[in-house]
Amino acid sequence: MIELKNVTRRFGDAVAVDNINLTIETGEVCVLVGSSGCGKSTTLRMINRLLPRSSGEILVDGEDIATMNPQQLRLNMGYVIQGTGLFPHWTVAHNIAMVPRLLKWPKERIDARVEELMTLLDLDPATHAGKYPQQLSGGQAQRVGVARALAADPNILLMDEPFGALDAITRENLQLEMLRIQQQVRKTTVFVTHDIDEALKLATRIAVMDQGRILQHDTPESILRRPASGFVENLVGKQDRGLKLMSLRPVRDLMTRHGSPKPSETGTEGVREDDNLRLALSIMLWQDLPQVAVFNAQGQETGVISRERIIQEGT
Amino acid sequence: MSVIRPDSIRTLPNRVIPALGLLALALVWLLDFGTIQPNRIVSGTGHGLLSAVGWAGAVGVTGSLSACVVLSVLPMRQRYGMLLGLVGLSLAMLPLLLDVFATRHLPEGSPYARSSIGPGFWCLLFLLSLMMIEILGRLRADRWLQFLLLAVIVGSWLVLFRSDGLESLSLVREYNARPDAFAQALRAHLALAFGAVGIGAGLAFVLALKMIRSPAWQRPILGAVSFLQTIPSLAVFGLLIAPLSALSSAFPLLQSLGIRGIGWTPALLALIAYSLLPMVRNTFVAITDVPEHLVDAGRGMGMTERQLFFQVKLPLALPVMIEGVRITTIQAIGLTAVAALIGAGGFGSFIFQGLGQAAMDLVLLGALPTIALALLADALLTMLAASLRPTPATA
Repeated sequence: MIELKNVTRRFGDAVAVDNINLTIETGEVCVLVGSSGCGKSTTLRMINRLLPRSSGEILVDGEDIATMNPQQLRLNMGYVIQGTGLFPHWTVAHNIAMVPRLLKWPKERIDARVEELMTLLDLDPATHAGKYPQQLSGGQAQRVGVARALAADPNILLMDEPFGALDAITRENLQLEMLRIQQQVRKTTVFVTHDIDEALKLATRIAVMDQGRILQHDTPESILRRPASGFVENLVGKQDRGLKLMSLRPVRDLMTRHGSPKPSETGTEGVREDDNLRLALSIMLWQDLPQVAVFNAQGQETGVISRERIIQEGT
Repeated sequence: MSVIRPDSIRTLPNRVIPALGLLALALVWLLDFGTIQPNRIVSGTGHGLLSAVGWAGAVGVTGSLSACVVLSVLPMRQRYGMLLGLVGLSLAMLPLLLDVFATRHLPEGSPYARSSIGPGFWCLLFLLSLMMIEILGRLRADRWLQFLLLAVIVGSWLVLFRSDGLESLSLVREYNARPDAFAQALRAHLALAFGAVGIGAGLAFVLALKMIRSPAWQRPILGAVSFLQTIPSLAVFGLLIAPLSALSSAFPLLQSLGIRGIGWTPALLALIAYSLLPMVRNTFVAITDVPEHLVDAGRGMGMTERQLFFQVKLPLALPVMIEGVRITTIQAIGLTAVAALIGAGGFGSFIFQGLGQAAMDLVLLGALPTIALALLADALLTMLAASLRPTPATA
């Protein structure tokens, strides 16, 4: 758990972070979202003490970080930055092994861990371990960046616009990847972005920041339904809030289940249980269908979902 | 993406080699190939290519150069390999032409007569070397092939120069008159140049670190080392004589260490002073230019400042720092020749002796090894810097 109590950070006369209070529960993904210069990165960098705070308290698991050794503190916090920050003179494997090496793990344990992480992030160890960062694509390099942050199994993960420099398709892939990994490893994560859609997709709770203050700290659904101010309302988009809400709910919630799963016939169009309602609606509108089949992860047809019901109850 | 496939680039006609080859052909026929002197001082009579090496030699030279020109424009895939062999062999065999020249023209029974190398030969050597560089570039030859080639050519020259046929060559005569002095000069030259670069590198590293730690020192330090660089080298050598003489006469201990107003001490001090600017500047720029996001990543993941310096900043800065050492080394090898004026020894002593006696061959005996040393140091340090670069940009 990370607690920020009345934290302020000044640069000269300018106030970058203005007396904020924020509690991040263990295992949740807290996304700090806001436009550039709103203080979100400054907040993140105070948590691992890359920046000292001007006043207030920051507690990690109840302990004030000001009393800890900064290196020890950071070794227990994975750190991912925009543009990866991979060291160009080290191979992929060497980069991932960085923190375990600083912690003086035995070599066999490091090697095993590097291989495990590369597999987790869908990078083939045989082809990629010996490459240098310049030889990777942007998406691969950022996967390595995430693997490096997870290497020593830290309790906390700090991510500073990690997918900001990637193209839309790669970013989408990495977001899905992150959701999958988060389900497996459950790290307390602080994630900074200026992209509200990214925030809605990844967050357990979102903190909307502007001019150094937190305007609203709540779940994605509450932020969409009850924006605390005009600024938040503008940020989430007044017009397409309905669709955004739909994209937060899985098909599972509104489907009509069959009595027992049917084996699928080949060629049947359909959606999966954990796809979101927005996708299901989009498919039905495009193909002009009143309803569409729903499949589970094993590919069995478990029910149907209808256009009518999404429109009535989806938001 | 280029639409030209690599192997079609290899078969396109080359423009550089024909130009160099034709120029070499013209110069080798127009200029004197060698000179025969009745003794050391009297200026000699020049001989053109045909007169110098006879029909056989002239045909050999003309034939190889023409073959290079023709080969380089033929659309063949293996031609650069063949050119490499041809030019390499020509370079390795060049001293043989001097041997032929000496046996044809040196008068019998006149022990003072000597043959010397003419401008035609120098041009041939220079242009063949340029052709070799072009071929190596086209072949994208790796370092080891280049090194092997250099070793073969230099080895063959050493063997040929040690044989009897070239004994009459003035350069060889000058060397044979003073082999011990030559070895002594080589040692002194190397010790001075590399000693100065070594000490200078250590000092420059410390100064650069000081500049990074305390920005207030940046301007004074850079100003001081730039100022040192602007003083003419002869002036520094001269200026150091008086204070060092005073010091050594005041402290007999220094005198017993060999520290005096002239000799190696002022030379070493001056060379160190000159070596500072390129090395301080390169070290400082290299370390401060390490991208901020890498420093941020390293620090953010728990590196101490010391680990950050030795594991990230220094390795990334090293190629640029070595570039500074390379510039300094070449400069120091050249300046050491001038230091002979204040009695520091080295190859410069031959140059100044030769100038004094109007014996150009003695000047060459000092100048050629100086050039060779500088080229060798350049090649070795370039290789070192290249091997330390992180990686190729793409796979």
